[in-house]
Amino acid sequence: MDTKDILDIIERNGKNHAGLIAILEEVQEECSYLPEEILRLVAKETGRSLADIYGVATFYKAFSLKPKGRHCVSACLGTACHVRGAQKIVEEFSQELGIKPGETTPDNEITLETVNCLGACALGPIVVSDGHYFANVTARKVGEILRDTREGTFGSDGAPEEHPFLIEVSCPRCGRSLMDSGTSLHGHPSILVTASMNGKTGWSRIPSLYGRFARTHEHAFPDNTIIQLSCPHCASSFQDGSRCVECGAPLATMRLADGNGVFRICTRTGCEGHLLDLGRAEL
Amino acid sequence: MEKFNSINGLQEFRSRLLAQFDPRVPTLVISAGTCGQASGANAVIRAAKRVLLRKGPACGVRLRVTGCHGFCAMEPSVLLEPRRTFYPKVGPDDIAAIIDAAERGDIVESLLFVDPQTGARIEKQDDMPFFKGQARTIIGRNEKIDPIRIRDYILNDGYLALTRALGEQNSGSIVEEVTASGLRGRGGAGFPTGRKWGLFAAQRNVSGKYLICNADEGDPGAYMDRSVLEGNPHSIIEGMTVGAFATGATEGIIYIRTEYPLAIKHLRIALEQAREMGLLGENILGTGFSFDISIVKGAGAFVCGEETALIRSIEGHMGEPRQRPPFPIVKGLYGKPTMINNVETWANIPIIVSTGARQFAERGTEGNSGTKIFSLVGKIRNTGLVEVPMGMTINQVVRDIGGGAPGKRKIKAVQTGGPAGGCIPVSKFDLPISYESLKAAGSIMGSGGMIVMDDSTCMIDVARYFMAFLKDESCGKCFTCRKGTQRLHELLEDIILGRGTPEHLTLLEELGQTVRDTTMCALGQSAANPVLSTLRYFREEYERHINDKRCDAFVCKQLTGAPCQAACPVDTEPWRYVALVEKGDYEGAYRVIRSANTFPAVSARVCDRKCESRCSLGAGGGEAVAIRALKRFVTDRVDPSVYRPEPAQDKGRKVAVIGAGPAGMTAAHQLSLLGYRITVFEAENISGGMLTCSLPAYRLPRDIVEKEIESLMNKNISIEYGRALGKDVTIQSLMSQGFEAVFLAIGAHESLRLGLENEDVEGIFPSIEFLKDFNMRGKELARGHVGIIGGGNSAVDAARIALRQKDVTGVTLFYRRTRDEMPAHEEEIEAALEEGVRIETLVSPIKVHAGEGRLAGIECVKNRLGGIDASGRSTPVPIPGREFKVDLDTLIVAIGERPGSGPLASMGLEVDKGGRVKADRKTLETSMKGVFAGGDLVTGPNTVIDAVASGKNAALVIDRFLSGRPLVEPAKPKLPSVYIEPAVFEESEEAPPRAVPASLPPSERVMNLREVESALTEDQARMESRRCLRCDLEFTMEQPAEKTAGAAIGGVRHD
Repeated sequence: MDTKDILDIIERNGKNHAGLIAILEEVQEECSYLPEEILRLVAKETGRSLADIYGVATFYKAFSLKPKGRHCVSACLGTACHVRGAQKIVEEFSQELGIKPGETTPDNEITLETVNCLGACALGPIVVSDGHYFANVTARKVGEILRDTREGTFGSDGAPEEHPFLIEVSCPRCGRSLMDSGTSLHGHPSILVTASMNGKTGWSRIPSLYGRFARTHEHAFPDNTIIQLSCPHCASSFQDGSRCVECGAPLATMRLADGNGVFRICTRTGCEGHLLDLGRAEL
Repeated sequence: MEKFNSINGLQEFRSRLLAQFDPRVPTLVISAGTCGQASGANAVIRAAKRVLLRKGPACGVRLRVTGCHGFCAMEPSVLLEPRRTFYPKVGPDDIAAIIDAAERGDIVESLLFVDPQTGARIEKQDDMPFFKGQARTIIGRNEKIDPIRIRDYILNDGYLALTRALGEQNSGSIVEEVTASGLRGRGGAGFPTGRKWGLFAAQRNVSGKYLICNADEGDPGAYMDRSVLEGNPHSIIEGMTVGAFATGATEGIIYIRTEYPLAIKHLRIALEQAREMGLLGENILGTGFSFDISIVKGAGAFVCGEETALIRSIEGHMGEPRQRPPFPIVKGLYGKPTMINNVETWANIPIIVSTGARQFAERGTEGNSGTKIFSLVGKIRNTGLVEVPMGMTINQVVRDIGGGAPGKRKIKAVQTGGPAGGCIPVSKFDLPISYESLKAAGSIMGSGGMIVMDDSTCMIDVARYFMAFLKDESCGKCFTCRKGTQRLHELLEDIILGRGTPEHLTLLEELGQTVRDTTMCALGQSAANPVLSTLRYFREEYERHINDKRCDAFVCKQLTGAPCQAACPVDTEPWRYVALVEKGDYEGAYRVIRSANTFPAVSARVCDRKCESRCSLGAGGGEAVAIRALKRFVTDRVDPSVYRPEPAQDKGRKVAVIGAGPAGMTAAHQLSLLGYRITVFEAENISGGMLTCSLPAYRLPRDIVEKEIESLMNKNISIEYGRALGKDVTIQSLMSQGFEAVFLAIGAHESLRLGLENEDVEGIFPSIEFLKDFNMRGKELARGHVGIIGGGNSAVDAARIALRQKDVTGVTLFYRRTRDEMPAHEEEIEAALEEGVRIETLVSPIKVHAGEGRLAGIECVKNRLGGIDASGRSTPVPIPGREFKVDLDTLIVAIGERPGSGPLASMGLEVDKGGRVKADRKTLETSMKGVFAGGDLVTGPNTVIDAVASGKNAALVIDRFLSGRPLVEPAKPKLPSVYIEPAVFEESEEAPPRAVPASLPPSERVMNLREVESALTEDQARMESRRCLRCDLEFTMEQPAEKTAGAAIGGVRHD
């Protein structure tokens, strides 16, 4: 994260007092913690004393002044989880990882945290690992959760290979198929569309396997930018004013081949937000 | 997206949506809030989409992904509209069948919800006990709406309240409507919302007024706000916009905790959609009224739920509260008038404004109108969000809707109101829920968390938990809160670690009151509530921790040690002998067992295994170590002669023991070792007490009992048979014969009576008489169709013995509660069923039919489970009109026993109404000096192991009594103190399942008395011992390794 990024964040949230917490949140999201030099810069730019900034940064639990690991495991210590034995779960994690809550493993892989309540009290004890929720955790499940965390294999999404779930789409304007059986991705025909940004135009391929929407483009587009997606046959744009539920960027809308609804995908590079609307076309 | 420039435009749009919407189309509604997703809803949704995509447009089934429906324990759940079929715990593989059936207009019977009480399947959501008693005006809307689609909301009367409000000439009428509804703040304080609005509307400020939605749902255990925000975000936006119009606010803020990512996402989408449609922002619906809402994320500080702290936080400061007045309504955010309402309060506004105050106030009670959402969590069967009319009792919520405790656990209390609240004991569960009643009971409504606690919850630990929370979350501004919560926490910590003294309790109370009286904000003022309320209702539990150094919930580690050991009434160290079995040292294992327990081989067969019920392996999600089976393995294999303690030299002092059962024989043996001369007086002609006369030989072979008693005998003990107390000897005669102390252990041998007419006709037997006649005299009293009344071990024993009598054609057992509540051991019930005993539950006898002086049958009534009684179990309630008759030839009454203590009372001993002799719990002293009592005589019918424990204790106190020492010594926690090296495991070694001993098949056992269960094989035993988690190591690891063979054996150390 360079100085310009930080200045952008400060600019976006405003230099008055009210923006501070949002600024710190964004910095933490980027860096995983609040590095001292950035806090100094924030103090200088917002005109508040470093002591003041430090006060806020240490008052709220969400902020950390220490770097965090690549993965974060949080065990809920809410009352409902507590009476169902959450303390034992935390101890089990501590023992397995050899660290105390709030610490990070020496290999910088996993940070163990506790949180006051995640609001999923009915399913306690609850553990969240990198945004994935585990319900009714017992000491025996701890090893499994850590393995999933390290390998990024979270069971709840199921193995798509077992039941291939394929999307077949066509252009909503001209009705022609967008499927390209000539080039397959993940072993299935890909979706071929035209992508353009800043005058650069080329092809873009989307896998048709549902849930695996990492795209490949003819041109290298920078991360985090919005690209125009359009039909390679009739050149009409797919953007129809609907917005991505993940990031708010415009969605590109295609029609399902059998007319049974629409498939939408986010036009921001790096975002895999998508919606499969069966039998209905509008939000 | 269409933008509307007029109220009419929106209304036309709604009409259009309604015209397009066909409510008859079968729709799968999948609950996918955070709870649903955590339970696997995403995989279900994905499977549903795949199936629907494959079927193509011809398939008429639709899909709706929504927020939480409330029944979290059954997630991921699917609701099929419009039939309202409820499918619980749906897996991705179930979806195809559900969709296929829905297409045909059918349902999948096998996937329906099973009512745990009746065992019947229930199809419709609204018929399920969890949903039936609720009034789901707010949470019920979640299932109608996909939260990321504003059309769903509009279709379901969304923004109707807004159009109604905007159409009003006079915005004051909205405030009047809200006032008339009687709505009170759902954040917890219960301030009348209408009054707040009126005060706020009266604030004239040209430069701006703020509305805030407090979505900093910080109370651990409460999550109804999250569910509403996730599932129906537009209701909050609409509520706030109506509020702004009514009060003249210009800007709105939703302050939401960062721990709720899905709620934040859905709110963001909803705000954007509302703005795009012209429902929010500049010139709303072309009326000239402007109002917009922004989101501010909290960064994880509980105190920010307090309104002045929340304001400081939005302003970008540390969230410290400030003194009020001025109240935020006058001077709030950036110094401008600010009105703060909680999420649930805002969610009520569209309902009140669109349907009218009167309809709203019809629900609930005077002064507490409307509904309230509670999060029913903790030790309860049906966890989830429950929306009920105010004024419902706690019992109705916990029992009828919540389904009571899971399994055989007993509910002890419910904690309400979060950290600022308190614990309400089960004895107060008939309390109607209102702001005032909960306050009077020492708790508060709070935001609606209801955490159910059972006998495995330690109330001191709960108090400590909240104090740890509050000391961390205290902002530190007020000294008494900052330091007071710390100090309260330390005091509780002392008690938990075994350092508590009676003075700790005085100090806790005094300090708690000081913190309450001298702090500024609600956090501090209520901070002591968890301590004060638990002290008020659970003082005994505190005293048990302090005086006896025991935590009966097995939560406080330093008072529990290894749970198996702490659970054992005779202080056996199961972890230790299990470890020795693993090492192959079976003799060592026998010595460990026998040093604590005078009846090892008997216990190995009939002990109720308190150790296993507390085993950490079982508590941690697995199956407990088969400790009793390992004991059986050891006692079957090792000759008792490896542990034969020599009695000390005869002191020449005489002690009398009355009753040669497990309590009496244990006391006699232990005292004899100390050098006392013991005479045991036994009324029957055989020793063993209940072991011989009541326990069936197929569970406990007679020779085992004989051998075990034989091994307890030595030169200091003599038994006189056929000598009954009150008939052949009296306490006075014994005293005059030079006995310096008497231990009474005559058991409980009188069966309780049903109290029905005709009970004395021929063919009806008390269970004890029935069992004694068979076990001791070989008499078979039962014939024909035999009925048994009762659900305890004695009832099941009688049933199985009856089945083994030659003139019996069938046996039916009648029990008044459900099988889950039957006190008999689960495996005994199983075995009885296997052998052919029929069990009818939820049935009580109401009449005995007789003909010619003989039993003809009984009349019964069907029960349902009602409220929880003081014992924490549900009371059976007869259902009028559900009476029925059963023809019987024999009836055995096994509803409990009482001691036959008539003669004792006439000798001058104090006896209670149940026939139990009054004796001090610890010293066993009766009302007569030198006379001690124990076993079933004092407790009523109890287990063998408790009788042995009582005998052991009797020996200790009688010895102290006779040597002139104090009878009670200060308690110390019983912690493991011998180190035994743990087993070595291969990296790849998988934990085997719990070992199950072989048993005779039913066909080979029903006609005889052969012992049903065998011992484990050596391989089985060695494998089983490796499953032990070795909880002891935590306490013994630090110590240098001792040679196991040379280590001190047994309970002696504990004294």
